[in-house]
Amino acid sequence: MTAGWHVTVTWPEVAQAARAHQRRAVAKLVTQFEDPRPAAAAVRREVIAALDADGARLGRVIGLTGAPGAGKSSLVGALATAIVGDGGSLAVVAVDPSSPVSGGAFLGDRTRVRFPPDEPRLYFRSQPSRGALGGLAPSTFQVCRLLARLYATVIVETVGVGQSEIEVAAIADATFLVIAPHGGDEVQFMKAGIMEIPDGFVLSKDDLGAGAERAHAQLRAALRLSGAGPRPIFRTSAQRGAGITELAQAWAAIAPGGLTAREPAQFARWVADEHGRAAAARMNAAGGAAAYLAAHGGFDAAQLAFA
Amino acid sequence: MSAATIDRSAPPVDEANRVTRDAPWIFRTYAGHSSPRASNALYRANLDKGQTGLSIAFDLPTQCGYSSDAPIARPEVGKVGVPINTLDDFHLLFDGIPLERMNTSMTINGTAMWLLALYVALARERGVPEAALKGTTQNDIVKEYLARGTYIFPPEHSLRLVAETYEYCVDRLPDWNPSNICSYHLQEAGASPVQEVAFTLANAVGLLDLLKSRGKINDAQFARCVGRISFFVNAGIRFVEEMCKMRAFGALWDQVTRERYGIAEAKYRMFRYGVQVNSLGLTEAQPENNAWRILLEALGVTLSKNARCRALQLPTWNEAMSLPRPWDQQWSLRLQQILAYETDLLEYPDLFDGSPVVAAKTQTIVDGANAELARVLELGGVRAAIDSGYMKSALVQSMSARMARIGTGEQIVVGVNKWTEGLASPLVGGDDGGVFKNDPAAADDARAALAATIARRDPARVKAALDALVDAAKSGANLMEPSIECALARVSTGEWAGALRKVFGEYRATTGVDGASLSLDPARTAKLRERVAAFEAAHGRRPRLIVGKPGLDGHSNGAEVIAVAARHAGFDVVYAGIRLAPDEIAASAVEEDADLVGISVLSGSHVELTRELMEALNNAGAADMPVVVGGIIPKADHATLAALGVRRVFTPSDYQLVEVMEKIMDVIDGSATA
Repeated sequence: MTAGWHVTVTWPEVAQAARAHQRRAVAKLVTQFEDPRPAAAAVRREVIAALDADGARLGRVIGLTGAPGAGKSSLVGALATAIVGDGGSLAVVAVDPSSPVSGGAFLGDRTRVRFPPDEPRLYFRSQPSRGALGGLAPSTFQVCRLLARLYATVIVETVGVGQSEIEVAAIADATFLVIAPHGGDEVQFMKAGIMEIPDGFVLSKDDLGAGAERAHAQLRAALRLSGAGPRPIFRTSAQRGAGITELAQAWAAIAPGGLTAREPAQFARWVADEHGRAAAARMNAAGGAAAYLAAHGGFDAAQLAFA
Repeated sequence: MSAATIDRSAPPVDEANRVTRDAPWIFRTYAGHSSPRASNALYRANLDKGQTGLSIAFDLPTQCGYSSDAPIARPEVGKVGVPINTLDDFHLLFDGIPLERMNTSMTINGTAMWLLALYVALARERGVPEAALKGTTQNDIVKEYLARGTYIFPPEHSLRLVAETYEYCVDRLPDWNPSNICSYHLQEAGASPVQEVAFTLANAVGLLDLLKSRGKINDAQFARCVGRISFFVNAGIRFVEEMCKMRAFGALWDQVTRERYGIAEAKYRMFRYGVQVNSLGLTEAQPENNAWRILLEALGVTLSKNARCRALQLPTWNEAMSLPRPWDQQWSLRLQQILAYETDLLEYPDLFDGSPVVAAKTQTIVDGANAELARVLELGGVRAAIDSGYMKSALVQSMSARMARIGTGEQIVVGVNKWTEGLASPLVGGDDGGVFKNDPAAADDARAALAATIARRDPARVKAALDALVDAAKSGANLMEPSIECALARVSTGEWAGALRKVFGEYRATTGVDGASLSLDPARTAKLRERVAAFEAAHGRRPRLIVGKPGLDGHSNGAEVIAVAARHAGFDVVYAGIRLAPDEIAASAVEEDADLVGISVLSGSHVELTRELMEALNNAGAADMPVVVGGIIPKADHATLAALGVRRVFTPSDYQLVEVMEKIMDVIDGSATA
């Protein structure tokens, strides 16, 4: 099978170029790993096989979650410099919400992260959520399977619309919750009962003086109250560059390669989603929901009939 | 009428029974281009023609704190204004112009302190006392974050620079307006009169609160600072409402300065304002009609004596097509002269005092603005409103709504969505097509002059001056005097801003698109969404656009409206942001595997920037990626862009957003392969 965008190139050849961090090649592969159509899985199999045969090792996947404005993107920008400075390589997947009305998406994370255009060890990709809840896109896991074979570290930045974005913990080797000093976020996260999920916390914008001190004290108190055991708190200021080295070092110590172990759970999820889609297609083939309800005599009868 | 009533309808007369006339406002023309020498010649010619003040337009590198030799500056040098690198350039720019008799307005914001320092340094080297300097630095950083985009540093540091210019000027330059609070750009971005007045006053309150809280000046000095705050206002085509807006501004400013700050002296509570009439409403279609629009807009800010502007600058009839030529500027200046000297306007007291219609309209704006001002202050004031994106979102939404009203024909724009048939305009028939052609050699001159100054200057003095600047930036000492020493030492614009960037960091903007809504033609939108769905079925992804602004021009609202419209049509839109080097956009487009790259350029540098983008895409192995360009692009350049490989050019005449999206989809459908 050919890669299409250049008729003489095969997918294993694209994979080869991607191993050398050729951006165009990486980008074309990511598009294949985002493609929901069944045939794309054949391309993915070919690509993964080529990468593995070439000796690709799985890097670490780090989840970054937090409320809007918590400073996730600025943090990613500062960390990228530190990681590349230490000789590492980094890919970022930033998820933004798709419009429920039009299905289109406004992907604006690039405005806050500025990578040097000629640094091949950095790669940034925006991803529309495609209506999925939980802060990720349906294809985020698949894209991580690819990028973790090409870059030593992959950061997944979640949508950042609420407190329920913990799904990233199911695909990442470690997950960090980013909290800004003035948000009162920790209270919300505690209420949502998810303080125990992150592997660590990042208190961003640590240049706001007394406010930052207060937030730090509140976060420690919230952690104690949650009773879920001590986790590290990193205090950073992307603007002043403070605390970034420490966080990058802590990340470097996270064991990579956990992605394969997560495949069964992710496959189960995919089956559930696919089945849902297939069932919806079956209903639509029968004339759509309204017709189905009418044909079967009401809501309960329709459920019985459909099952 | 009783015998005791004074007949107010007659013009006032002097003892010899001659009709007395009010002094006219200051006539200005916003001007500057190519090089200090060329701009100096233009200023002297304009002053000879009867212009009474200077309004200096700086090029974008100067506004954004880059010298002419910086890579990101290269395509922009001398385009929308004059490049100023060192004090030597200022000597040339003001050659033969007496500073002590000039009223000089500088449209400069992110680097306002630097340009003021250069002006003071120029006065010192010429032996002119600082106290004699008269004029204005625009220096309104808040609206840069909201609409105009030439910020450099994060807000708290930028605001510190603004405050320090006041603290420096209050005793030393008593006739200088250290900043000019701008409502201009808010209207340009779509604000309603009420929003415009309220946001502008919130901005002024934010500045005065800051000056008070810093505690560097005493109460008497503070009162004088209040007296020096001036405003830069827009005047739109609804000129009756605009006149009422000016009266409302005056009433509210009097109220705010009295009630909030306890300013006793009436002269310090005066609402002093200059005007540039609206450029946004000027059309590319039937451009000669703009002459009438400009005239009517000028009436809104001159008719009412009690709400008359202090200074007026008029755009030119062809501004929607290109930068103006000297003749175009002369034509606009003549309008002011005819209005002030031929008509009887300046012979009368206020024409509208006592008009119940005007009083009621004014009161409506006052009440609405008071309520909105209270809301913004409750939200934490103007700073919080920037940080949260509240104001930016409000403006992008207003802009989207305006585009929608024009699109549906609800708002009539003659020659654009009504009476579009017309005879060809002889005004655009000349050899130059009625547009300004920049001298491409000007940028070379600017760079050569900079190199010559750098070769001449004393490196030890430069280093000491920059070190002192950095020390003051870190210690919190006032930066004006160290900046003046930098100017005297021939430090360059890029070096001054670069030193402060290291201390303060750089600001990256939030976008204002959240919540923006559009009313595109529903039937056409539905059709377009079907095409998007067909594309998705065929390619396994939605059509993916990347939208960004290369170069230094920061007017981002247009690009953001396009991005919102694209999302509305069902595209996935990657917004890369503003102030990007072309190779950054190319790299992003490649990483995102975009189906189409859209760039927006309003600065006149579209050819250079497009050429660089095409080269960068080619170098990245993405020469096949289709590119479209939007902006103020003269017809004559369309062929040039097409020859560079641009698939489609959009100009202000493409106001139908749904049509723009359809054309973009055509390009994508025509080039997608996989």
